[in-house]
Amino acid sequence: MTLAHKTPLTPLDDAFTPEGGKQLPAPLKSLRDIRSKAITGMALPNRRTENWKYSSRYLKLDPELAPQTQATGDADYRSVEGVYRLVIRNGLVDLESSALPTGDGIDIRRFADLDDVTAQSVARKLDTTLDHGTTQLAALNTARLEDGVLIRLSADTSVDQPVYIQYVTDAGASGSNYPRVMVEAGQGSKMTLVEEYISNGDQPVLVDSVSELLLDDSANITYIRLCMDPANVRHIGATGVKVGANARFDSHCIGFGGDLRRHDLQVRLEGQGGYARLNGIALTQDRQHYDNHTAIDHVVPNCDSDENYRCLAADRSHAIFNGRIHIHPDAQQSHADMNNKNLLLSTNAEIDTKPELEIYADDVTCAHGATVGQLDEGSLFYLTSRGIDRDTAATMLSMAFVHELVGQVPLEDIREAVNTRLTDFIEASFRRAAE
Amino acid sequence: MLTIKNLHASVEGTPILKGINLEIKPGEVHAVMGPNGSGKSTLAQVLVGHEAFEVTEGEILFDGQNLLELEVEERALAGLFLAFQYPVEIPGVSNLQFLRTALNTLRKHHGQDELDAPSFMKLAKEKAKQVDLSPDFLKRGVNEGFSGGEKKRNEIMQMLMMEPRLGILDETDSGLDIDALKTIANGVNTLRADDRSFLVVTHYQRLLNHIVPDVVHVLANGQIIKTGDKQLAMELEEHGYGWLGINEAEAAG
Repeated sequence: MTLAHKTPLTPLDDAFTPEGGKQLPAPLKSLRDIRSKAITGMALPNRRTENWKYSSRYLKLDPELAPQTQATGDADYRSVEGVYRLVIRNGLVDLESSALPTGDGIDIRRFADLDDVTAQSVARKLDTTLDHGTTQLAALNTARLEDGVLIRLSADTSVDQPVYIQYVTDAGASGSNYPRVMVEAGQGSKMTLVEEYISNGDQPVLVDSVSELLLDDSANITYIRLCMDPANVRHIGATGVKVGANARFDSHCIGFGGDLRRHDLQVRLEGQGGYARLNGIALTQDRQHYDNHTAIDHVVPNCDSDENYRCLAADRSHAIFNGRIHIHPDAQQSHADMNNKNLLLSTNAEIDTKPELEIYADDVTCAHGATVGQLDEGSLFYLTSRGIDRDTAATMLSMAFVHELVGQVPLEDIREAVNTRLTDFIEASFRRAAE
Repeated sequence: MLTIKNLHASVEGTPILKGINLEIKPGEVHAVMGPNGSGKSTLAQVLVGHEAFEVTEGEILFDGQNLLELEVEERALAGLFLAFQYPVEIPGVSNLQFLRTALNTLRKHHGQDELDAPSFMKLAKEKAKQVDLSPDFLKRGVNEGFSGGEKKRNEIMQMLMMEPRLGILDETDSGLDIDALKTIANGVNTLRADDRSFLVVTHYQRLLNHIVPDVVHVLANGQIIKTGDKQLAMELEEHGYGWLGINEAEAAG
């Protein structure tokens, strides 16, 4: 094809595939080497790459982003009460700053500390939850493994407090990090996992994170992902999930835009009676960018999924939602419901939404809806007629748009924090626009 | 308190108000009556600053200030309050959050301390009771799923909280049964004071049995064609608008 030549291919710079992973047990080091070799010189996604159509121009993997980020001072760990804390700083597990559970039934270990048998088992499972064709940068994560975390729940374990992973990126100097988490939730186990990404410093940095969750039969995992790091952080994240029979996966992915924000959430319903709920909120302002790609595979019969994503884009920002639902030929009696509502807060903002349904079974119900709207003038008038200034009124209405989803975040402390941070973010945007 | 001089206003180029003159003194209750389409609601909306209406001529002075230069929220802070004919529903914003924000904005404007959550709740419950609105409504979205009557009660409840200088009621009586009408009228009457005025826009006289006006104006085709005391309202009730030579169908356009 001659057309292909019109967009020159940019290869991944060799600086991104350095030697490393010396701490890893042999099976994981070997996996790292295989991935590293495979992606050396790989063509980066460009605008002709369908799933990177809107985001590839922000990818810019300049060599200065290649070095591992380094600690540049004290990390600002926001304290969170009533949780088990796991700190991953610059992609490396920081056990000293963590407060891990000590009870039976839950085992949290660094990859570096795994025995060979377990490491062999992890190496076999890593990368199996994600579709490599659509998560090109997840391979870079595996190729850059220095450490990682394995969280294992034994059968019927119910973890009494949420496990809260704080990912800290030091952005005092340019660079990148590659955090990796693997969760194996045994039969009938239950846990809330929170992932929060924070950063200090203002240099351009890249976070390429991958989390994989394997839910055995009847496991129940609630997953809260807070991607609210500052705009200078380019974040490419992938979360892959396999849901077993009668297992339940609930996710709440909430984030702000940045120079580049990309999250791929891929869920495979692989056992009958499995259920997945995917909630998401993305807010962008200024010239920020946020690209959510989700995929739900109904592989077997009798599984349900509910998806509800909302995006708000202000100023000249750009938000993208791409939601794929794939009902496999055997997956009769699947029920899938996908909803994406969007709010444009400025005439210069852009929102692209694309539902993709592939249905290969005939006895299923599959509904989808997508809307793009603006703030309602009548409501704005009503609020301002009571003395509330226009920026505050607009903030209240914007928050009303995501109210239902914020309300579904299960932990009160986190729900409150999310509410406050989203409100502050939106309000700042309206105030700036008014100046 | 309020002086309207030769007010002309139009919507999308169509003139609706065609030279209104009106003076409301402190403590007075004025009723504006008129057939559908006469411009009653437009007058109410123009006073609080609805963007859909363009004032093409005339002036409005409120406590000596040029009202037309003020933004919608500034008019509210200056003491204007409109009880809407059709209050909007705003799911996702609770009545509580809305009212507290509004009240505290007003208090701040007047140099008063903001009310903390418990004091606010106490006040809100008290005012809700005054208009027979269950406190449960406070937790719900603004007007969300409210019946017509509940919406009207909520408007009056807000007015009781905000204690405006000038309360404007836009067809607050429409769609209300007699009990609700009385409740709402009682709410308004408790606010009546020497330094507070009301402009009551209504199609029917029955509300005026309960909120007794000092002055009654008849509006037709964008102009006040007759002004009198409460007797005028009664005569209108008895004889209809045709009595004043108004063709109601024509006026409604």
